[in-house]
Amino acid sequence: MSVSHQKLLEVRGLKSHLFTDEGVVKAVEGVDFDVPRGKTVCIVGESGCGKSMTARSLLRLLPSNGRLVEGSILLHDDAGGVRDIAAMDNRGSEIRKIRGREIAMIFQEPMTSLSPVHTVGNQIVEAVRLHFSVTVKEATERAIEALDRVGIPRPKEQMGSYTFQLSGGMRQRAMIAMALSCRPRLLIADEPTTALDVTTQANILDLIRELQEDLGMSVLFITHDLGVVAEIADEVAVMYLGKVVEKAGVDDLFHDPKHPYTRALLESIPKLGSGSKEDLETIRGSVPHPFRRPSGCPFHPRCDSFMRGLCDRIVPPPVTLEDGREVRCLLYGGTEGSDE
Amino acid sequence: MTVQVPGASDAHARPKDPLLEVRDLKMHFPIRRGVFGRIVGYVKAVDGVSFEVNEGETLGLVGESGCGKTTLGRTLMRVYDPTAGEIRYRSRDGRAVDLADLTRQRLKPLRREIRMVFQDPQSSLNPRFPVRDIVAEPLKMSGRLSRRALDDRVAELLRQVGLRPETMHRYPHAFSGGERQRIGIARALATDPRLVVADEAVSALDVSVQAQILNLLARLQRDLVLTYVFVSHDLSVVEHISDRVAVMYVGRIIELAHTSALFRDPQHPYTEALLSAVPKPEPRLRGRTERIRLRGEVADPADPPPGCPFHPRCPYARENCRTDVPALREVRPAHWAACHYSEELELRGVEMPTVQPETR
Repeated sequence: MSVSHQKLLEVRGLKSHLFTDEGVVKAVEGVDFDVPRGKTVCIVGESGCGKSMTARSLLRLLPSNGRLVEGSILLHDDAGGVRDIAAMDNRGSEIRKIRGREIAMIFQEPMTSLSPVHTVGNQIVEAVRLHFSVTVKEATERAIEALDRVGIPRPKEQMGSYTFQLSGGMRQRAMIAMALSCRPRLLIADEPTTALDVTTQANILDLIRELQEDLGMSVLFITHDLGVVAEIADEVAVMYLGKVVEKAGVDDLFHDPKHPYTRALLESIPKLGSGSKEDLETIRGSVPHPFRRPSGCPFHPRCDSFMRGLCDRIVPPPVTLEDGREVRCLLYGGTEGSDE
Repeated sequence: MTVQVPGASDAHARPKDPLLEVRDLKMHFPIRRGVFGRIVGYVKAVDGVSFEVNEGETLGLVGESGCGKTTLGRTLMRVYDPTAGEIRYRSRDGRAVDLADLTRQRLKPLRREIRMVFQDPQSSLNPRFPVRDIVAEPLKMSGRLSRRALDDRVAELLRQVGLRPETMHRYPHAFSGGERQRIGIARALATDPRLVVADEAVSALDVSVQAQILNLLARLQRDLVLTYVFVSHDLSVVEHISDRVAVMYVGRIIELAHTSALFRDPQHPYTEALLSAVPKPEPRLRGRTERIRLRGEVADPADPPPGCPFHPRCPYARENCRTDVPALREVRPAHWAACHYSEELELRGVEMPTVQPETR
């Protein structure tokens, strides 16, 4: 198996912008990352960093005022073929064969993908029949199996339930069942546990982890919660203002963070069990307004390692470190780069 | 026989009376049906809660959605009229009053002493008013200050919360989420309060901003001798900010203790499960310990199970847990738990990533 076969998805130079009345929001501004087969990649960042827009770009599900303006999204298949999702017509049949079938997506709010006026069973059966030529009976069996797999009790009876009859955690499970009913190769999960209570969240994270092991699918998990990242990620991409500022394995990221933003982020969270009442480390200021993107490194106005004349002038290029990690920070090189 | 009230009745406690003493507080909301609004049942959002809060301390209230923590916070503020119980508050002039029982008229002067900070700075600030008017509003109620004096006071408050006074003429939309939360805090501080109820005050903020606000709340508490009741679902935040923590489940406090005792040595199975479920920002802890996973969902406060409300989900439940309601009792000095078997069970607290000396 060649090296490229290990990768399921290769995202290169992705740019997605939102065109608003006030101007253009460069929500995703040159993003590169890979999703290896069978692994979990986390994209972590604060609000406005472009993590959700990145996830939506992969399925070409941007809001009506958004557009994928540049870059490639290469989806590798088992036979060695490659398709570029970025080049597809976002309403064409090509992308529609991928959505839900090869790449499925789950959201923070389950009602984003579930219908309130159809039974849970009907929705899953329809999704299965859309992508596979199977009889209603076969599709129904598959749907029951999917509901059973995600831990919904009495799946046969629950097929006839409407979403309003289910609790928040059960709705989340129903949405995951629908996403998994077509056996996708990649599951994109956009903050799927953020609105849930911790005990329910723990169960859903366990479920996603188990399903991944059983089905061998890849997971791209979008979150702002570093605790969740530590629990489920194999690899992590940290985003800030539309760029991936650091990529690393999960252990390296938590124990040897390189980018000043990653370091500051890790220091600013209260750690359960530390017992410390000392003031927390903070990152000064807040994420800038998207129309006021700083020049040079987007993090420089908040950075403790700010180098005048460099960081405010040069957009840091990705620098590959010895162990294969990647970081966009002039502390690690790239100062010979060009002005923005 | 007197009702035992969980408080800090140990060496840490000051000899003087607590600032707030809540006894057997109940807040039941009627469920109405039909054309005539017949009452068919009650949601027992707060169902017999007792605790004390000492002056200058922070009491954390944690629990999952629907546990009644927000209703409890609001009932303390008399946003609702409690169904039963006492909320004894020692006012600035030393009088002890029962907030649960006061008329709106008599309550009004006390509203200056007890203030609230809300979760969502987006919706709790009126977008049509400039910051100056928002912050000055509670002051105008008293009607004694001149325009000039109001401006000066607003400027001082903004400085106190780390905002530039020049920004007072801007409208809320011109501020970031963290700055808006600072405005909400400035408004709460305007009347020089003694007790602040913070309801999920940092939950909507980004992590980098959350740390700033937590530090600000800690500094204000030291400088102004504030007492906090800090309502939150986030156990890491609650551990960081609280001196003592009360864990709620279906309208009741099921455990109350000093923060380090509660997190290291929980005495109630629900607390143990909560602590186990929090994702820890340490990948090396993965798979090291057996996780406790609760089955089922939080009980419906309109139809709580008989006996211990936690028994259907409790991995240690025994026969009498289905029938006997456990009382909140002092299972260790200053450590209260509502479980029949606290003494027998060996429950697991949070694993310490690094050993650190106790700071309090």
